[in-house]
Amino acid sequence: MLLSAKQDWLGNIRGDILAGIVVAIALVPEAIAFSIIAGVDPKIGLYASFAIAVIIAIVGGRAGMISAATAATALLMVTLVKDYGLQYLLAATVLAGILQILAGYLNLHKFMSFVSKSVMTGFLNALAILIFMAQVPELLNVTWHMYALTAFGLGIIYLFPYVPVVGKILPSPLINIIVLTLIVYYMGIDVRTIGDMGELPDTLPIFLWPDVPFNMETLLIVLPYSVSIAVVGLLESLLTANVIDELTDTESDKKRECKGQGIANIGSGLIGGMAGCAMIGQSIINVKSGGRGRLSAMVAGIVLLILVVFLSDILKIVPMAALVAVMIMVSIGTFNWISIKELKTNPTSASTVMIATVIVVVWTHNLALGVFTGILIGSLFMAQRLSQFMYVDSSYDDATDTRTYNVIGQIFFNSSERFIAFFDYKEAVDKIVIDVHRAHFWDITAASALDKVVIKLRREGADVTIIGLNEASETLLDKFAVHDKPEEIEKIMGGH
Amino acid sequence: MTAERKGLVLAGIDGSDFSNSVIDYSIWISKQSQSPVKFLHTIEHSHHSEIPHHEGNLTPNMKEHLLEELSDEERLESKKMIADGKTIINAARDKAEKAGLTDIIAKQRHGTLPEALVDLEPELAMVVLGSKGEDHKGDKQGLGAQLEAAIRVIHTPVFIVKGEFSEPKKMMFAYNGSPTSKTVLQLIAQGHFCNQALDIHVVSVQSALDEAQALIDEAASVFEKANVAITTQALAGDAVEELTGYQQKNAIDVTAMGAFSHGKVHGFFFGSFTTRMLLESNTNFLLIR
Repeated sequence: MLLSAKQDWLGNIRGDILAGIVVAIALVPEAIAFSIIAGVDPKIGLYASFAIAVIIAIVGGRAGMISAATAATALLMVTLVKDYGLQYLLAATVLAGILQILAGYLNLHKFMSFVSKSVMTGFLNALAILIFMAQVPELLNVTWHMYALTAFGLGIIYLFPYVPVVGKILPSPLINIIVLTLIVYYMGIDVRTIGDMGELPDTLPIFLWPDVPFNMETLLIVLPYSVSIAVVGLLESLLTANVIDELTDTESDKKRECKGQGIANIGSGLIGGMAGCAMIGQSIINVKSGGRGRLSAMVAGIVLLILVVFLSDILKIVPMAALVAVMIMVSIGTFNWISIKELKTNPTSASTVMIATVIVVVWTHNLALGVFTGILIGSLFMAQRLSQFMYVDSSYDDATDTRTYNVIGQIFFNSSERFIAFFDYKEAVDKIVIDVHRAHFWDITAASALDKVVIKLRREGADVTIIGLNEASETLLDKFAVHDKPEEIEKIMGGH
Repeated sequence: MTAERKGLVLAGIDGSDFSNSVIDYSIWISKQSQSPVKFLHTIEHSHHSEIPHHEGNLTPNMKEHLLEELSDEERLESKKMIADGKTIINAARDKAEKAGLTDIIAKQRHGTLPEALVDLEPELAMVVLGSKGEDHKGDKQGLGAQLEAAIRVIHTPVFIVKGEFSEPKKMMFAYNGSPTSKTVLQLIAQGHFCNQALDIHVVSVQSALDEAQALIDEAASVFEKANVAITTQALAGDAVEELTGYQQKNAIDVTAMGAFSHGKVHGFFFGSFTTRMLLESNTNFLLIR
């Protein structure tokens, strides 16, 4: 453990420091943009990004992942800030952190297995759309200069990397910021700058207890926001951790990540920062820039703070166009473009889940609601499919006037109606045998469906016997588990 | 090794300066104990990209492109490491064949050495490692970065090679009465380590001589029961100083002792006895946890 900790910090010093600087440069415009989304001064997002990046470097569960102020969490704060002000946001941030630590102890990260690939894709696409939509107000009711500058900035971001040598060394979002600032400053173009958007940090952050009354009323105001922030923050963080696991072919500690996100948010809230979480785009940039260890997130946070505190006078004159260009880049980079092509080839159920997730998020601006919708619809599709794994055949024995029904497959809430319909209640026979030893009753709906069938058949005057009920109802128990028992799984797949 | 425990003698080799001695010692141990020898080379992925990418921009489908790029890069890296490792283990196999061994396994595994040891432990009787690996080329002092981790993860005896091969003649067993050292005592007395080839010196160092003598008597009676002839010495003073002094005076080749009986935190604050012994002795070691 100590050995791996050292490796996590010092295993890749050069790569981590360079990547950390690249990330810090990209974090600055994003932190400012997300502050604007949340409706607070840019310094709130910048302090948050510093605190979260540095704290998560120490306490996070995924080395090489970058966390800071994010769009996903900023979107959830809008009404809280508008209705109650900044102090309530800080309180909500601290509370969200506490909830996340709790989630870590309760192993809630395991619920991530319910989030299917389609829901993930929907989550990212929705996030990309929301980030783009947040830029639209900056592009309305403005002169043509704004469009020209933004387009030029995007051109620099995407084309500068093709310039030989320097293109691969200097981060193109930074070049975009420098070039656009110089143009606006020296040509005296009258467009909005970051300085117009609110206060920038001029000092190092200081410890501040949120200035709210500590009572039930406050709790009830912030709790719904905190829950949303905690859930969305963990969703995006765990999703990003999976992406980094895959990219680097290494493992991460998801439980530690949940608790780490919580600690980072508490830290952010207490120095006057907003809530955040892992950033998928920045984490990918980090890995691409060679960042693998904990050091890169630490460097990113510290460099960010140095940049904004010491360069705040320069930051003030950066035109919003440069920022909007960066955010459009983030939006384009977050969107999963392959998923559009896959709409044609993927099963309709998968596409439905993805699109439903996107629609609910874009509609509510709450990624958690979208994810829940996606999980729900996906589960319904799955239940629908599983219910087809059931049929009943029957045979009649003339000599004893006995009808035997053989039930095979999975009976649960969604297949019980079909199960009932398989029986012929109009047939007048003496004896009826229902052989269920190759069937599985998964829930009480299934059990009561069998009761219904038996009662109905008895009413018609038949003697009903059930065979193999013990085996069939094993699955009814909540503690029924087939993990690591191949022979049990074999029974369910192939009948007893 | 006795007949009922026909585990493998596993030699961890990585092409470092010590690898040749590790191969020689494992051949010797394998012959003495008549157990099969297994040469293991582990392929550790660095997971560090060598291609600088500091564009800092997000391009469409960047994750997919990056995944492809990184996996291609690592594939090449792995292939090269596998090829290099093959050369190393094949050379070891040749050497073992020339030395007359017949039961030889040469394998490669992905991951770190400690990970490999954990996975393979059930089939092992003894692990032979160099005191320094390939990351420490040239530096005379010091211990390999993975050595302590490797010793800590398994309970199989670990033979640590400190220098060029010379046929071991004398083994010093440092006995302090602790539970681990009692285990070592039993193993040696039962002939689990090449006793027929080695003179065994049982040495005990305590702050008072009579305490040390009491421990020696305790150990001697175990050896007597097992019909193993030994030389004994009770000493008073600092354990590391006295033991290394005894090693030099008596030309000891192998030091046997219990290892890392304290946790890592204890070692962090008080310094580990095992680590000090490893650093300050010139003999090879037989460590058991």
